[in-house]
Amino acid sequence: MTRRFIEMALAVAGAVFLVTVPWSIPALIDNFWVSVITEILIWSLFAASVNLLFGYVGLLSFGQALYFGFGMYGVALGIDRLGLSFWPAFGLGIAAAMTMALVSGIFAVRLSWHYFAIITVVFSLIFYFLAVSMKPLTGGDDGINFTLPPVFRLDGKAIGLTDPTFQYFFVLAAVSLCFFLMYRLINSPLGKGFLAIRDNNLRASLIGLNVYALRLIAFVMAGFLAGVSGALFAFFGRYASATYMFYQVSGEAVVWTIVGGAGTMFGPLVGTALFIVIREIVSSHWEHHSLIVGLLAILSVIFAPRGIVGLWNGWMARLGERETVKKAPSRLTLRAEP
Amino acid sequence: MRDTVLLLAMNGLIWGLIIALIALGLSIIFGLLDIINIAHGDFFMVGTVLAWFSLSVTGNFWIGFLVAPLIGFLLGAIIQRLVIQPIHGVAALSIVATFGLSLILQETVRITFGATPRRILAPIGGTVPLFGVDYEIYRLFAAAVAVAALAGFFLFLQRHDRETAIAMGIPARRVYVMTFGIGFALAAFGGAVAAPITTVDFRGGVDVLPFCFMAVIIGGLGNLPGTVAAAVLLSFLEGLIQSVADPTIARISSLVLMSAVLMLRPQGLFGGFTK
Repeated sequence: MTRRFIEMALAVAGAVFLVTVPWSIPALIDNFWVSVITEILIWSLFAASVNLLFGYVGLLSFGQALYFGFGMYGVALGIDRLGLSFWPAFGLGIAAAMTMALVSGIFAVRLSWHYFAIITVVFSLIFYFLAVSMKPLTGGDDGINFTLPPVFRLDGKAIGLTDPTFQYFFVLAAVSLCFFLMYRLINSPLGKGFLAIRDNNLRASLIGLNVYALRLIAFVMAGFLAGVSGALFAFFGRYASATYMFYQVSGEAVVWTIVGGAGTMFGPLVGTALFIVIREIVSSHWEHHSLIVGLLAILSVIFAPRGIVGLWNGWMARLGERETVKKAPSRLTLRAEP
Repeated sequence: MRDTVLLLAMNGLIWGLIIALIALGLSIIFGLLDIINIAHGDFFMVGTVLAWFSLSVTGNFWIGFLVAPLIGFLLGAIIQRLVIQPIHGVAALSIVATFGLSLILQETVRITFGATPRRILAPIGGTVPLFGVDYEIYRLFAAAVAVAALAGFFLFLQRHDRETAIAMGIPARRVYVMTFGIGFALAAFGGAVAAPITTVDFRGGVDVLPFCFMAVIIGGLGNLPGTVAAAVLLSFLEGLIQSVADPTIARISSLVLMSAVLMLRPQGLFGGFTK
């Protein structure tokens, strides 16, 4: 049982589970949980945008809800006001989020740590209040509803997200693609630059990295991830609302990320899944489920300060150590052979 | 016109003094323990609720002025030992831990106090003519109490804290417990003073929190008098802007102003890092 084997097995099991969700979950529990899992996928992408900045570049953003909100409103306004069809509205949402991230990033990434956290929350508050006050356009706290346009037409038949199974696979495909892109980004030279900045930005600038530009790129990429998740969530809920731009939404994503494991690829997914599953299970039995969520957040940072995935990686590393110790003699004999 | 300007500017000034108390609590927790306290707005909220409870139990509003900071201090000390101590001042973890704390405090208040916002009648009714405006007496009184509390803090507690920090012989652990307790007590006291001006609501801390953080940052991290000055200045400006525009626009303009300060003077408006 090597680490590689265990992780491969887990990955395969996870992939099989995700692909069979629309059939296995209704058979095991009920249809409702398919939509819960859809929601988990969408929010985990949002948490991934926090993770990209905090876990890989060392910038703690408390304002990612702004780009989530822009993704949402791009879709909702595109469909409801501009009469766009599915893909242009999707594109508009993502473009709006990335543009906003670029504009605010130009200012925000000049700052670090506390100041960066505060300026991101300030920016998101500015637009939250704007969205609340521009009620005719945004619908304020009540939000705006829209009817879903079809995703594409096949033999004259419209196929859209109104079909829960199609919706699930659409979200799964979009989220997987984004996670794959993020994986490629982190493992590219650009991603190594991010890590260098996270670990020591002075040293990074001394070896010739343009810290400002790299941070800005990461910020816009994070805006992209948040924008995609916001757009997906607008499609999923068929509406957009200013409440999703409030700083508490950003804060929740920070918590999910850190509990799951910041700086790990799947930490945000694990954290998001944990919190949403608990919320869904407990809230149907007990009105005050926030108590459990709060307690869980506290316990997890006390007992797993590097997050759940961090804890797991620690176990795996220990497993690996034991194996290398055992294998050491055989390597020696191999070398001794003529 | 002149009257409304004066009225709103006064409101802003007085609210700023109360916010200054709360932000001061945030500032010492931030400065001394390196804890980013997301639950600080809820500490304030707990203060307003304690004021409401002590009024409804004893029938005497003023008991709340004693009860809120005392219970606040005790809660703060307990929370520090149970929740804050184990995370060893890692700022990122403190966000998660205090977020959890915030949920627990809000939910506990929702269970015990209920979800409906309530109002407390000002214990000192009536108005007094001030610069040609009839001004509520309680607000003036609240301002005086806030100023007295601030003065008391700077005269006694701050000196005490600095001395303990310098005198290495005193267990650091006790200083941490004290600091967190005092931070909670300041916010809870601010809540008790503000209770008749604002509404008592389990979500009452949500709006206060960003404002306090801004005061801490604009005042300069670790600069306690700066925090107070920034809180008063920000709130006063917002009051002034409110007299010509609606509250949301006023809030937006103060946020824009804040961004400008952050960009141009990240060390705070009032000098450097004095931790």
